[in-house]
Amino acid sequence: MIELVDVGVELGGATLLRGVSLAVPAGARLGVIGPAAAGKSVLVKVMAGLIPPTTGRLIIDGTDVTGWSEEKLAPVRARIGMLFQNYALYDFLDVAGNVGFPLAQRGLAADAIGPRVLERLRAVGLAGSEFKQPSQLSGGMKKRAGIARATIAAPELVLYDEPTAGLDPVTTSKVYDLLRADHDASGATAVAVSSDVAGLVTFVTDVVFVYRGQLAYQGPAATLADAPDPLVRQFVSGALDGPLEA
Amino acid sequence: MSAAPSLPVRALAALGRPVVAAARATLELWGVLIGTLAGIIRSYGKGGRRPRGAVLAQMYAIGNRSLVFVAVTLGFIGMVMMYQACLQFSRAIGDLSQVGLQFLRLVVSDFGPTLTAMMLATRVGAGIAAEIGSMKVTEQLDALRMSGVLPIDYLLVPRFLASIVMTVALTILGAAIMYGAGGLTAWLSFGVNPRTFFDPAMVQPRHLALGLIKAVTYGAAIPIVSGFCGLRARGSSEGVGWATTAAVVGSSFAVIALDFALSVGALWLFGGDL
Amino acid sequence: MIGERTLTLLGARAIAVTREVGGIALMTGQVLRALLPPRLDGRELVRNLHRMGNRSLPIVALTAFFAGGLMVVQSAPFVKRLGATSLAGWAAGYAVLREIGPILIGLMFSGRVGANNTAELGTMTVTEQLDGLRALAIDPIRYLIVPRVLAMLIMLTALTIIGDLVALVGAAVVAYLVLDIDWRTMYFSFADNLTPHDFFHGVYKSVAFGAAIALTSCYFGVTVKGGAVGVGRAVNAAVVAAAVSIMLLDFFITYATA
Repeated sequence: MIELVDVGVELGGATLLRGVSLAVPAGARLGVIGPAAAGKSVLVKVMAGLIPPTTGRLIIDGTDVTGWSEEKLAPVRARIGMLFQNYALYDFLDVAGNVGFPLAQRGLAADAIGPRVLERLRAVGLAGSEFKQPSQLSGGMKKRAGIARATIAAPELVLYDEPTAGLDPVTTSKVYDLLRADHDASGATAVAVSSDVAGLVTFVTDVVFVYRGQLAYQGPAATLADAPDPLVRQFVSGALDGPLEA
Repeated sequence: MSAAPSLPVRALAALGRPVVAAARATLELWGVLIGTLAGIIRSYGKGGRRPRGAVLAQMYAIGNRSLVFVAVTLGFIGMVMMYQACLQFSRAIGDLSQVGLQFLRLVVSDFGPTLTAMMLATRVGAGIAAEIGSMKVTEQLDALRMSGVLPIDYLLVPRFLASIVMTVALTILGAAIMYGAGGLTAWLSFGVNPRTFFDPAMVQPRHLALGLIKAVTYGAAIPIVSGFCGLRARGSSEGVGWATTAAVVGSSFAVIALDFALSVGALWLFGGDL
Repeated sequence: MIGERTLTLLGARAIAVTREVGGIALMTGQVLRALLPPRLDGRELVRNLHRMGNRSLPIVALTAFFAGGLMVVQSAPFVKRLGATSLAGWAAGYAVLREIGPILIGLMFSGRVGANNTAELGTMTVTEQLDGLRALAIDPIRYLIVPRVLAMLIMLTALTIIGDLVALVGAAVVAYLVLDIDWRTMYFSFADNLTPHDFFHGVYKSVAFGAAIALTSCYFGVTVKGGAVGVGRAVNAAVVAAAVSIMLLDFFITYATA
């Protein structure tokens, strides 16, 4: 579905990613973990085509889209949905407007958008909040609105940048429940960045560990705690001693 | 480990760095202008989609909300300018009959558009940069791109068009107020007969043309410069603050520089008789 | 009903303006109180002097140059008609020293330094740094605000003086390039016709403008509410308030010193 070939990203003189090669088959669910500022969000944004790789190639569904202009990327992006770390809800639209925005941009008529928005909002547990402004929502509600917006156009690939950051444990479980239900039903590919490793592994099938801009490990989620790499083991277990730099 | 670069190389680098940065920024600014013009063609050409009522909403935001501000500031400055002009005329020529004509020329072809634009540069420039800047740092611009929308098309084009229309409208209003306030001052403080002052026959078409061209140019420049600054915002509230500051300074300076360029151009065109 | 809604809006606006003016007046009082006896952070003062002055010089100089040139261009038809090239320097110089210089430099300073100041104080307010200072028993007024107010006042005055000179140079250069007037003619035109009173008229204004810009920018900085969006809005409000103050002060000083 999506493939990165030896991708490197350099911005403002700093090397954010280096030699990243990974392939995500259709229907797979990939988790991206790693210490803060290791490059996880950059990786996801490269997949979304928001950050063009300085070196290497990005291949989406067999097509090399590296360095494509915004206009050319538009039809490709139509098949991708993204949840942003800080929700990125439009402050000039209400919740219904936000969630329906991707559909409105595809030219759907207003009366076709309405029911789909309501259905999505109900699915994420936000029924009744259609006319609220984003500023009136709690963090968890904003995240769920973001998920509704990311998935409303039935994308084949959904990118989640920190779907549960800043949420309490109960809401976190609810969000992962929602993600599992969504992807079980749609079979869409998922890539999720998360600092909450325990929760993440209940949703994803495979995990990559990003450390200092490079992929230090790739493997199945089930055996993450027993990974051969001591870096990964330390990170996952939360131990203070180990090869991870403080 | 390589040896540190020698002094002449370092000096050149120190001089060159801001020049390179300025050149790159100028190219990007130019890119924003081209992008906006392309966006207009995309939005209004065949098959273009544009957000309904966006231009009108922006016109309201820019125009109506700046009305009182422009009226007050230009009124006061008009009074001051006339006062100084009358003083100067008295000292130089001792006769105030020409004051109305000269003041009118200055207001219509220069101070009216320029001062209105300077005021708008602070109000509108800061507003545009703050809006677009805060959307950039909260990743709303990225979210727009993920929905296949170009931020320049969606955000900047309506503001660009609205700004041109409203700057012209506010310039006309501002110039009228400035001239009226000036006339009032001349009459009350210097006894200049209002009849010699408010003679509509004195308005010369080439002054009007110059004033209009300036107003349109300023109206175009302010959102481009401010949008450019907003699009470059980085970080969080600090970045938005920086973007807003840069927008105000950049727009104000652009107005002054364009005023100078257009005035010199007009002078050259009309052979020294503005 | 349209009339009722308009009145409500107008009234709300009037109340908002009154609240701002009152807040600024209160802050002015606090600043003045902290100045007698003058006990302030000297290091902060010097740091702000450098930041606000030295780094604003290029843009102020450039603006002043163009402003001076502009005045010459505007006086051109006049000069041509009367054939009095010696008047060009006087006309341009008079306008620059008394009005255009202080106002344009004031506006640029408000944009560059005032807006920046509001953004900084605003970010500090939003990230609760001001509360942090108070928790350490440091008075934000004495530590942060007073040095900035003084620095802005001093620097705008200095920049206006320098800017006036640059504007006169700009006028001479443009007069030579565009109107073929010899620079010596311009120099004597300046020297013969411009009085120290004209010069100081502008300087008084710049002092007043500096105070106005300083107080408005600090006020809007510390009363920020609402994160990144709030900071942007505060900067917007600050530059607008500063611009209005500049025009009003210009009016009053012109008439008061007539």
